[in-house]
Amino acid sequence: MFAEQGEAMTIPDKKGYFGQFGGRFIPETLSCCVDELNEAYREIKKNKEFRGELKNLLHTFAGRPTPLYFAGKLSRLFGIKVYLKREDLLHTGAHKINNALSQALLAKYMGKKRIIAETGAGQHGVAVATVAALFGFKCDIFMGEEDIRRQKVNVSRMRILGARVVPVSSGTRTLKDACSEAMRDWVTRVKDTYYLVGSTFGPHPYPLLVRDFQSVIGKEARKQILRETGRLPEYLIACVGGGSNAIGLFHPFFKDKKVEFIGVEAGGLGIRRENSASLVAGHVGVLHGTKTYVLQDKFGQVKNAHSVAPGLDYPGVGPEHAHYAKSGRARYVAVLDREALEGFSLLSRQEGIIPALESAHAIAYLKKIKPRRKNAVAVVCLSGRGDKDLDILQEYEHDD
Amino acid sequence: MTIEETFRVLAEEKKRAYIPYLPCGFPTLAHTEKLILALQDAGAHVIELGMPFSDPLADGKIIQDATAQALRNGMNQDRLFSLLEKIKDRIKIPLVVMTYYNPVFAFGVENFLSRMKQAGVEGLLVVDLPIEESREYVRTAERYGRTPIFLATPTTTASRLEKIFALAKGYLYYISVTGITGPQSLPERDLSRRVGQLRKKAGLPVCVGFGIHTPAQVRSIARFADGVIMGSELVRFIALHWQKKDFFSRFSRYVRTFVKEVAGPYV
Repeated sequence: MFAEQGEAMTIPDKKGYFGQFGGRFIPETLSCCVDELNEAYREIKKNKEFRGELKNLLHTFAGRPTPLYFAGKLSRLFGIKVYLKREDLLHTGAHKINNALSQALLAKYMGKKRIIAETGAGQHGVAVATVAALFGFKCDIFMGEEDIRRQKVNVSRMRILGARVVPVSSGTRTLKDACSEAMRDWVTRVKDTYYLVGSTFGPHPYPLLVRDFQSVIGKEARKQILRETGRLPEYLIACVGGGSNAIGLFHPFFKDKKVEFIGVEAGGLGIRRENSASLVAGHVGVLHGTKTYVLQDKFGQVKNAHSVAPGLDYPGVGPEHAHYAKSGRARYVAVLDREALEGFSLLSRQEGIIPALESAHAIAYLKKIKPRRKNAVAVVCLSGRGDKDLDILQEYEHDD
Repeated sequence: MTIEETFRVLAEEKKRAYIPYLPCGFPTLAHTEKLILALQDAGAHVIELGMPFSDPLADGKIIQDATAQALRNGMNQDRLFSLLEKIKDRIKIPLVVMTYYNPVFAFGVENFLSRMKQAGVEGLLVVDLPIEESREYVRTAERYGRTPIFLATPTTTASRLEKIFALAKGYLYYISVTGITGPQSLPERDLSRRVGQLRKKAGLPVCVGFGIHTPAQVRSIARFADGVIMGSELVRFIALHWQKKDFFSRFSRYVRTFVKEVAGPYV
C-alpha cells in the first residue's frame, strides 16, 4: 500500500516541496487542520490495523487488483505493445475510489463526522459519496453549475448515495471554483469536517497523501507487466488534470530510469486557445494552496480552463508533476478535444471498451509515439469508464 | 503617519482604530481614488486596500462578487500602484494592501514591495501566505521598509502564535470567527477573552475583523480590541448605492456612523 521506507522517498521535503513546487499556501485558519492531518497521516502509515482494513476494502469493496489488459488490436495499429491498466473496472468506474476509500478511512480514524469534496467530472464526487455511505459520514459535494449540467448522471448517483450536491455558481462554475468553495466550507467548519481532496493538488500533505494512496495503480502494474513480459515497459502513459492517476502509475517506477513517463494534458481547443494544459501552457504560480504550474495571465489572475473532459478541466496541476516536468523525469504533452474524441471512439470500436473522455486523452496519444525499439511496450492508465460522458458526446455530435 | 504612530496617537487619545477594507477597482476603476479619500475624510485610521484575485479562498459572496467585478473592470497591480502614486501626497493615514499570494508572486515579490514603497503604501497582508512560507517575503519587506501584517485566528495554536508574533509588524489582524468574510453574529465573550490574551503577548495592537457589520458590534469590539476592521458591510453599501447621485455624501455619513463608535474614551 505505502511506499516502503527509503524507496524514492526523498520528496517531498518536510515542508511539502517537490523540488521548488508544492508547499502550503493557505489561510491561517486552515493551518491547524492541515497540521492535524499531516500528523494523523504519519501515524496511520505505521498502523497495521489501518493498513489491513484498507487492503481488505480495496480488494472486497473496490475490486482491486485491477487487470492489466493486452490491447491486441491497438497494438497492431500502432506498432507498439499496448497494455491497459483497467482502473475503469473499479467500483464507481474510475481510479478515484482508491483515494476516496483510503482518505475516508483516515477520516474515520481521525474521528471526523462530515466529509466534503470538490468534483469536476463527478467521478471523485461519486467515489466520495460512496465511501461516505459506506462509513456513515455526512457528505457535501461541491460541484460547478456548468459541470452539474454536463454530468447529470453522476449528480444523480451522488444523490442516490445520500450526498448533498452543492452547486457552485461563482467564477467559471467548474472544478476550480468547486475547489475554492470546498476550501471556504472547510475554513468555516474545520473542527468536524474532513476535506477529501480528489487529486494530487492542494496544500501539503495532500499531494503526498493522494500520491501514496494512488500508487497502488503503479505497484500492481509494475508487478503485472514484469510477470507478463518479463521486463519493464518503455512507456507509461496517463492523462493529467490534477494528475492523480498519472502520479499513481508513475511513482512506483520512479527509480526505473529507463521507463519514460508521458503525461497527457488536455489541449482543449488548442494550446494558444482555451485548454487545460497547465504544464504545457502555464506558468509557475500558486493556486489552491500549492505552488505549481498554473494557467494565468501576467498579473497572476487564474484563467478559465477548458477541456471536453470535465475531469481535466482545471487550470493547475499537482506539484509533483511540476517537479517531474522541470527535472525532466516525465514529459508532458497536450492532446486536443478533437483527438481525444477520436481516441474515445477508437478504443470503443477496436477493443470494446468505452473509456472516460479523460482517459481517452491518453489513448489518443498512442498514435504520436515513435517507438525507440521493436516490440516496445506501453502501459496506459485507463483511469475511468465513459458511461458518464454520453451527454457530452451528444452535445459534440450536435455541434458537428 | 505610520501604522505605529497612528496607534500610539490613538492610545494617547484613548481611542480605537476604525479600519475599512476597500476592494480596488470596485464598483468602477474611477471610484477607487475617490473612495479612499472619502474614507480618510470620514475619519478612517488605516485603510486596507484589496488587490483583487480571481480565486479569493477566504472571502464570502459579497467580496467575491466585488473583486470579480473589479477584475472585469480591468483592475491590476500596475493600475493600483499608479493610482496610489497619483494621490500619495493627499493621503495622511497609513495604507495596507491586502491580497492573495499569486498576484504578488506573478508581479514579483520584490517588484510588488518596491512599487508599494514608491506609492507610499506601508503595509502588506497576504491572506494565503502563512508563516512557514513567509521568510523571504518578510526579509524583502524589511529591505523596502514595508510592514508585513499577519493574521491570527481562533484555531491558531499557542506555538504558532509565538512564531507569528516574531514576524508580525504593524498590527495583528485577528479573525473573529473560523470562517470566511461576510456579515454574521460574533461570539463576543470568547472574542473578548481571546483578544485580551493576545494583546498581552503580541507586543502589537490587535485589530479584529470578519463578520463585523453593525455599529453595535463595532462599539462592543472596540471595548477590548485596538481596532475594528470592516469589509463586506461597506462593499454591500457601495454596491447598493453607488449609482445614486448623492452617493459620496451618503457614503461618508455611513462611514461616520462606525467611526464614532471607536471614539472612546477607552482606558
